[in-house]
Amino acid sequence: MATTITATLETTATRTADADQPLLKVDGLSVTFFTPTGAVHAVRDASFEIKRGEVVGLVGESGCGKSTMAYAIMGYLPGEPEVGGAVYLDGQNMAELGPAELRALRGNRIAMVYQHPALALNPTMKIGPQIEEVIKVHLDLNAVQVTERAMELIESVGLPDPERIAQSYAHQLSGGQQQRIVIAMALACDPDLLLMDEPTTGLDVTTEATILDLVADLKGRVNAGILYVSHNLGVVARVADRVVVMYAGQTVEEAPVRDLFKDPRHPYTVGLLSCVPKPVADEGAVTRLQSIRGSVFPSTQADPGMCLFADRCPMATDRCTGEAPAPVSLGGAHETRCFYPGEVSPDLWDECIEREAPRENGKEPTLTVKGLHRVYGQWQRKYLFFGPKVKPPVRAVESVDFNVGAGHTVGIVGESGSGKSTVARSIVGLVPRDSGDLELRGEDLPAETDERNAGQKASIRMVFQNPTSSLNPKLPVRHNILRPLQKFTDMSAKEREERACELLESVGLDASYMDRQPLQLSGGQQQRVALAAAFAGDPDLIVADEPVSALDVSVQAQVLNLLEDHQRENGTSYVFISHDLGVVRYVSDEIVVLYAGHVAESGPAEDVLSTPSHPYTEALLSAAPIPDPDAIPTPIRLSGSVPKQHEQFKGCFFASRCPRKLGDVCDNTPPPMQSSPGSPTHEIHCHIPLEKLARLQDNSVITPA
Amino acid sequence: MNPLGAAVSAAAVLLRGLASLVRLALRTPAGRIGLPLVVLHMVLALFGETLAPYPPTEFHIEDHQLEGPSLQFPFGTDQFGRDVLSRVMSGATSLITVAGAGALLGIVLGTVVGMSSGYKGGRTDEVVMRIMDALMSFPSLLIALLVLTSLGPNPINIAGTIGVVFIAPVARVMRSSTLAVKSLEFVDAARLRGEPNVYIIFREILPNTLPVLAVEASVRFSYSILLVASLGFLGLGVQPPSSDWGLMISESRIFITGAPWVALAPAGAVASLVIGVNLLADGIKQARELPKREA
Repeated sequence: MATTITATLETTATRTADADQPLLKVDGLSVTFFTPTGAVHAVRDASFEIKRGEVVGLVGESGCGKSTMAYAIMGYLPGEPEVGGAVYLDGQNMAELGPAELRALRGNRIAMVYQHPALALNPTMKIGPQIEEVIKVHLDLNAVQVTERAMELIESVGLPDPERIAQSYAHQLSGGQQQRIVIAMALACDPDLLLMDEPTTGLDVTTEATILDLVADLKGRVNAGILYVSHNLGVVARVADRVVVMYAGQTVEEAPVRDLFKDPRHPYTVGLLSCVPKPVADEGAVTRLQSIRGSVFPSTQADPGMCLFADRCPMATDRCTGEAPAPVSLGGAHETRCFYPGEVSPDLWDECIEREAPRENGKEPTLTVKGLHRVYGQWQRKYLFFGPKVKPPVRAVESVDFNVGAGHTVGIVGESGSGKSTVARSIVGLVPRDSGDLELRGEDLPAETDERNAGQKASIRMVFQNPTSSLNPKLPVRHNILRPLQKFTDMSAKEREERACELLESVGLDASYMDRQPLQLSGGQQQRVALAAAFAGDPDLIVADEPVSALDVSVQAQVLNLLEDHQRENGTSYVFISHDLGVVRYVSDEIVVLYAGHVAESGPAEDVLSTPSHPYTEALLSAAPIPDPDAIPTPIRLSGSVPKQHEQFKGCFFASRCPRKLGDVCDNTPPPMQSSPGSPTHEIHCHIPLEKLARLQDNSVITPA
Repeated sequence: MNPLGAAVSAAAVLLRGLASLVRLALRTPAGRIGLPLVVLHMVLALFGETLAPYPPTEFHIEDHQLEGPSLQFPFGTDQFGRDVLSRVMSGATSLITVAGAGALLGIVLGTVVGMSSGYKGGRTDEVVMRIMDALMSFPSLLIALLVLTSLGPNPINIAGTIGVVFIAPVARVMRSSTLAVKSLEFVDAARLRGEPNVYIIFREILPNTLPVLAVEASVRFSYSILLVASLGFLGLGVQPPSSDWGLMISESRIFITGAPWVALAPAGAVASLVIGVNLLADGIKQARELPKREA
């Protein structure tokens, strides 16, 4: 396939350039934007190279200038920024090119893949013509050749039935398919350089895995350099040959992928690595997660002539605050921007503190969920009251059961569309359930918040995904904490004020934050205020819906550790919802794996994550990116997406995507519930007998060498 | 929280909003032109009659009928020899009060209807918005004529009619911005605290829709001015001999070729007020799109 692609293309003189010369050389690049409120130093000093056939990963927290860098390489920066340094493509300084030459370059020799495929595709054009458009602009081919090439491209990104895809509109494709099309468009002219800006961030983990496979595959097929921008270390470990770490607009460390993960030589890199929960496959949930204190050096400040990381660095000295470090080469293409690369060690960010032993198993469950069921919408007719039925109801949750023990954390995992948010919102009463029972300490809970009494409202609190929108931006922090106290306790105004300060301190913020506006706080601080507000009524149960997925990895740990400490002190139970298996495993005592509104598997965390497990759990585990370049990718991949329409499943809910499907029995008979003999609370809904499942899975797991 | 308490806190929020709006308006050229124009008219509305060089109804019949602009009469005189400048200055009061009261009534009612309907959602929202659609399908001038010819042209009726007519467009705008804010999680958080709907709408959502409300309010105010002036022109505004811009234009059309200043002065007054209000609104809107200074 790849050979035909390259064969149809003309080769220009520059394309056969010397192999030793870097394809792309970024040399001391800086980008400063001038806004009405002052200069923004998006990129300060970035240097790195990309060779042909190489994937370079660019990582860093949000606000580190990763995306600006990608746009600067394209010569496609908004406004009129001041650009310092230079970008060379095959030795050609990009700054010397005129607008017309740049236009000819973009899409042809440099192509970009964006984060949101749905926004990168034109919704009013069919896929085929959209791809053909790119080819027509840059290549001199006749109509028949153009169509042929478009078909080749669609096929080359692993999409079956290219004719059908070419006739579809973007909205008819799933997110993964859309991203494949965007990649196909980027490959249309066989580019020399491919820039991928967080291409899998908006996708489900199972889809992400298939896209990463595609990128890894492309690396071998096309003779292009790839810059892969991501905030996710696991993803970068999976695809990159070399990694560049950015901090506050500077490249702080650059190394071959194995060196960077095994022997990091910049405190920031070490910090990032120790912020991520350990891979699910090892026994690593025993130490507490670390976080990097403070926040990224503000891009609005001019270069202070010091190490920009010094404020957050545990090993900063007077030299770090008095002098700006230059990149030092450590040999073997390993560079770091630190004065003391020899002193950087993995336990730099405090000793690994052991987590305390698991808590006593609560006898009486705090919350019991039985047969929870919820469907959104109802059948609608095409012409109000007449015509064929269109727009079916959407399945959210169908028969979900689980218990949350006192002082326990139940983690709920699943892809988008699996119904996990609906479960959360049904428990707190924001989405009334259609049927099923909820019991709070054996007492029946009404379906809607408004029907619940004050005690019940105070007992169940919720923490939302996006802290920026869960705090009212027009009201001060004070409001968010005092109001629940006013509602749920009978304290006097003075007592409330004192308690609010206590609560703020318990989440690591001092009383001066009371009068701040939420928008003045960083994402991590906002989420901590949200936690303080949730703790306000001394709740028995906190439902946390993806509480850390909107946060940078460097502050995720703060929130997770706060939740854990609160639980140990107050015996609060949690329902913790996340799509990230690593995070769920870190926090959970029990795990419920949801798929299409059904429980696929549930039980104690360790049992769920070890064999035998439901084929869906197995696929999730297999797809989770591991921040270890030596991890051998496991072969199980799911195609398609979670079925959404509300049809009663005749057989197994997972039958349409199951990699271990037995045959007709899966299509026609609902799966039985099996529990393993060793752990009676571990339940798997599958037709395959557990012993066979365990055997199959043990054989397919490839243990790292 | 009772509805009265909610109203009081809503008023406090509105006042605080006003101060920040002035600051916001001064950040753009449009706002810097619009704000002084609006302020000038406000001063006229409050003190126009006092500041005017002559009493607006004083006749100079003997020697100054339909005289052109001069030092003595900067905007000339009308058919009875009355000073046009004085009449324009003193005419501001009735027009701005009536237009302002009408617009304010429409904004308050429209905000309440629109926000409640949008927050409630579902079938209630559907029914309320269809009623608003029906209301909007009548030309506002026609409704005003109908009401004023049957109830009589007095300022309260004019303001009331304008208020009712403006409910629909204001409700529409406020409903849509409420829908956008409603989907944010802090509204869910308030519901989970067990806050009553009135509290959520006016304390949690309203502050977030204020910028939209401010722009809508200024648009409504300028429409209201045009409507009152039109009614005056048709003879349904303030009755003679008190001065009214619409009425002045209407009376002067007989001799518009011979003495255009009699029509131009009130017309210019209406135009400058409407332009001022619109520029102010534009300025606020633009300033909102500029990045925040403290961010």
